[in-house]
Amino acid sequence: MDRIAIVDGIRTPFSKMGANFNNLSAQELGRIAARELIERMGLDVKLIDEVIFGCVAQPAEAANIARVIALLAGVPKTTPAFTVHRNCASGIEAVVNAAIKIKAGEGSCYLTGGTESMSNIPFLLSKEYQEILTEISRAKTLPAKLQSFAKIRAHHFLMPRIGLQMGLTDPVCGLNMGQTAEVLVKEFGITRREQDEFALASHQKAIAAREILREEIIPVIPGPKYKEAVIDDNGPREGQTLEALAKLKPFFEKGTGTVTAGNSSQVTDGACAILVVSESRAKELGMKPLGFLRSFAFAGVEPNRMGIGPAHAIPKALKKAGMKLSDMQAIEINEAFASQVIACERALASEKFAKDFGYEGYTGAIDPAKLNVHGGAIALGHPVGTTGARLILTMLKTLKRNDLNVGIASLCIGGGQGAAVILER
Amino acid sequence: MSVFYKEEANIGTITFDQPDSKVNVLNSATLMTFDKILDELKGKDLKALIIQSAKKDIFIAGADIKEIENITELVDGKAKAQAGQRVMDKLEDLPYPTVAVIDGVALGGGCELALACRYRIMTFNDKLRIGLPEVNLGFVPGFGGTYRLVRLVGLAQGLTMIVSGNPISSSAAFKCGLADRLYPSVGLSERVKEFIEEISAQPANRIFKPVAFKGFQAFLEKNPLGHKVIYWQTTKLIEKKDPKGFYPSFLKAVEVIQKTKYLPRERALDIESSTFAQLAITPVSKNLVKVFYLSEKYKKLIMPGAEAIKPMPITKAAVIGAGVMGGGIAQLLSDRGVWARLKDINQEAIAKGLKAAYDVYAQAMKRKKVRAPEVAAKMAMISGTVDYSGFSDVDIAIEAVVENLDIKKKVFAQVSEVISSKAILASNTSSLSVTEMARAAKDPSRVIGFHFFNPVHRMPLIEIITTEYTSLQTLVSTLEFAKRLGKTPVIVKDAPGFLVNRILLGYINEAGRIFDEGGSIKEIDRLATNFGMPMGPFTLSDEVGLDVGVKVLHVLETGLGARFKSVKIFDEVLLKKFLGKKSGKGFYIYGKKRIVNPEVQGLVKISSSIQEQEAIERMIYIMINEAALILQEKVVDTPDAVDIGMIMGTGFPPFRGGLLRYADSIGIDRLVEGLEKLEARFKDGRFKPCAYILDLKNRGGKFYQ
Repeated sequence: MDRIAIVDGIRTPFSKMGANFNNLSAQELGRIAARELIERMGLDVKLIDEVIFGCVAQPAEAANIARVIALLAGVPKTTPAFTVHRNCASGIEAVVNAAIKIKAGEGSCYLTGGTESMSNIPFLLSKEYQEILTEISRAKTLPAKLQSFAKIRAHHFLMPRIGLQMGLTDPVCGLNMGQTAEVLVKEFGITRREQDEFALASHQKAIAAREILREEIIPVIPGPKYKEAVIDDNGPREGQTLEALAKLKPFFEKGTGTVTAGNSSQVTDGACAILVVSESRAKELGMKPLGFLRSFAFAGVEPNRMGIGPAHAIPKALKKAGMKLSDMQAIEINEAFASQVIACERALASEKFAKDFGYEGYTGAIDPAKLNVHGGAIALGHPVGTTGARLILTMLKTLKRNDLNVGIASLCIGGGQGAAVILER
Repeated sequence: MSVFYKEEANIGTITFDQPDSKVNVLNSATLMTFDKILDELKGKDLKALIIQSAKKDIFIAGADIKEIENITELVDGKAKAQAGQRVMDKLEDLPYPTVAVIDGVALGGGCELALACRYRIMTFNDKLRIGLPEVNLGFVPGFGGTYRLVRLVGLAQGLTMIVSGNPISSSAAFKCGLADRLYPSVGLSERVKEFIEEISAQPANRIFKPVAFKGFQAFLEKNPLGHKVIYWQTTKLIEKKDPKGFYPSFLKAVEVIQKTKYLPRERALDIESSTFAQLAITPVSKNLVKVFYLSEKYKKLIMPGAEAIKPMPITKAAVIGAGVMGGGIAQLLSDRGVWARLKDINQEAIAKGLKAAYDVYAQAMKRKKVRAPEVAAKMAMISGTVDYSGFSDVDIAIEAVVENLDIKKKVFAQVSEVISSKAILASNTSSLSVTEMARAAKDPSRVIGFHFFNPVHRMPLIEIITTEYTSLQTLVSTLEFAKRLGKTPVIVKDAPGFLVNRILLGYINEAGRIFDEGGSIKEIDRLATNFGMPMGPFTLSDEVGLDVGVKVLHVLETGLGARFKSVKIFDEVLLKKFLGKKSGKGFYIYGKKRIVNPEVQGLVKISSSIQEQEAIERMIYIMINEAALILQEKVVDTPDAVDIGMIMGTGFPPFRGGLLRYADSIGIDRLVEGLEKLEARFKDGRFKPCAYILDLKNRGGKFYQ
């Protein structure tokens, strides 16, 4: 069986929104990751069959961002490219698409990845204001222009629609992501303290893993100032304390909420590039893969409980692979919110849960020592289109470094889904 | 025959197609043939006459410069211009519409021919350039260009084109009215036929109509006050470009146009032909023509005897050392579509290199030469690294690290291990031994010097340095690469100082001696700029950095002899940390205005016995003597290599034709006499005429035979 090889990958540092990468577009971040992967591997770009990138807030000026990234990174113009969007799992979607294409015999070598610049998600004009502006530009005479101009009201430009906010709000159930986390808090009875402790651990693990994470990160020198290099993720806080976390006010539910900015993932910019090749082709080309994609699964859940997605996707992926949760030597559940990860842990550990959904044999308790060993999105940040790819990269590097064989990486997905991939060496 | 006529359906077509040549040139023979055809066509009643070229990407490249070069008498110059003018007049006077169909380069006489036609049709061909570059050869258009261009496109545009000599693209030509229509090259002949139908329908279309102006432009063009403004602006621009008036053709061009703008054809052309003749016989013009040939030869330089060797295509380069030069080289590479992997020891250094590269683009963006998306795509071709990742597939590795031989040798040894067995290893060193570096590399045959000048994006010269090990393949590939990067290459054997720095440092050192004897910094610099050097020796030293200059002098002293021992006074200046521009103070102080540094000038007592004529002679003759030594030692093969190097690498005045052309103009006997006199005075051997020069004197020869 010709397996799907994840040959190599690289990512940019993850930078909090509005910080070091404020002036880097998503296409620029993606290009940097893609080009550096090509350079480091000494990859002959002519070998690439297609380029697939995940991106959520696809910039208006870079339609089909994968194509823009491909061309700027030096991939031949004759090589096709397309962009995928499965919300927070877009990075995984890119890799999975490559796998599916390889399996279908469409090609054997795919440059994939994810990119996101949440700093550059724009503010949008209201439709009313947009129509007035269009009227003005279409008006042929000055009086006509002035007439339309007079329709503008203060609220039109003082209250734009905030793209980031809209993107993080589910249109079907009307809740934003943080509010869905609060839903799970109530469902599972998760306390504020438990969430803060989880968040603290994430920061501590990430700080401890600085050197280790440098193995997957390339320094980025942001233009146009080119002042200094960003070498590490700037999300993890050294000396983070429970007290400091406890001081924060709940962000998504006033008064009664428990989800804060401190125990949620950070809004972040970053990109990741991964080369996916069929096992036989990789051998032909003398490549030494980091690992292989064993199985993947996506599952749907209620949008207002999107955080529980991994608890459904994990058993599904295990079943496809014919493996058990206890077989997994490393586990990543994306830390969109501390509460959401804890909810997944509890669901997977619950026999009732397994019975209710027919997951018997494919669930179980998760050993905390195996979970998110180098910290997660709470500390590192969650550039939504990129994280899925990063999880795959980090997981494979972790398996390799510790001489382990198999792990599972999963994410919850805004809109009510879960994704999981099993990786093996 | 170079000119053909055929007729079909009452439309005549004249085609220029010079045999055995890639281009069409209006030499006297071709003009005569064209003239004869026009005589035959005078009496016909054609619907229209098309004039076109059969050459790819070339309409008519101009008159035959060789013929102009040979003009030595005023009467011959005037006659030559008049001959061309008459033919163009004949063309202009044809009673039916004439249409020039231009799908390529139309310069000088080619443009003038097109101007004499009623209509000009051009294509979207990227290679199409139309203009009147005669001023750059030291004369003015002589086939009616000054008469017709201004009448067609107006004073501002016409004056700009003629005085700058810069050709324009077809879209610019369409915008200013020089082109009547633009058509795609594919299907051109059909479009031209349709155009002829269109214009035949209305007889009014046969009459010459100048471009119509609107608004403020119309004010400038139609109003004598507006004209004054235009002339004034142009004159100011010329004064800025050529403050000492070394190049008379610019102001003369303005003069011709000013005098003839309202004159009838015959009188206007008479003034044009006289001015043309006056300028064409001047030594300045002769020198500029020679420099033109020199420049063409070296821009397209090929290795004789290496025609069988295919140059290796270069698509990716590594640049080691992200300093000012490294960053500049990376920018040049990215601008020319070559991937650049920029390496340095840490991220801070890489950041500086990227910034240096970006700053060049930022300047170009400010001047609207390039737009932001293009800059983003070009900067994307540069990536940085602190290790040798990304080196395995480079075609050439260029080292631009600090000028320290041990460090460079180490770099060569390391890089040899990581690049492919085909890749070239090049050094940007300005003074160190490329041979030594070659010995440190795994494969010395692939080692070559590739010396850029600062700033990389602006200085056109590149010295390609060969060692005894450099293979012909390496040289051929590197030569092609230099041309691909848009540089003018000169091939130099590995010797201290190579070509340019060796000559230049002698000049600066001599200036230092004159200063030491009690010279004025300002006056010495003035002598040099009055001679035509773009900057005086002390200004130059401040630009480069006195520390750098003295360091190179040490290298030259060790390698070439005591004449390069740096003047003691330089050490005193260095001790006071007056390095130059980079430290804000050097021989001059750089504030809002530049002033002479009194602390440096104060180091010597001004002597009244310094003779100006002798001072400039010393500075120039020492360069000539050194250049002759360079030829003697076969560091370069020919005097024209010296001259192109000095012109392109230091801005040696083109109006003098080059350093050795200037030496020839002095005369070898006078040169030797001058050198011996100076040697008698200073007695340290530096002015002793070298064997090469003495040999020339004995043979009664010149540098340029």
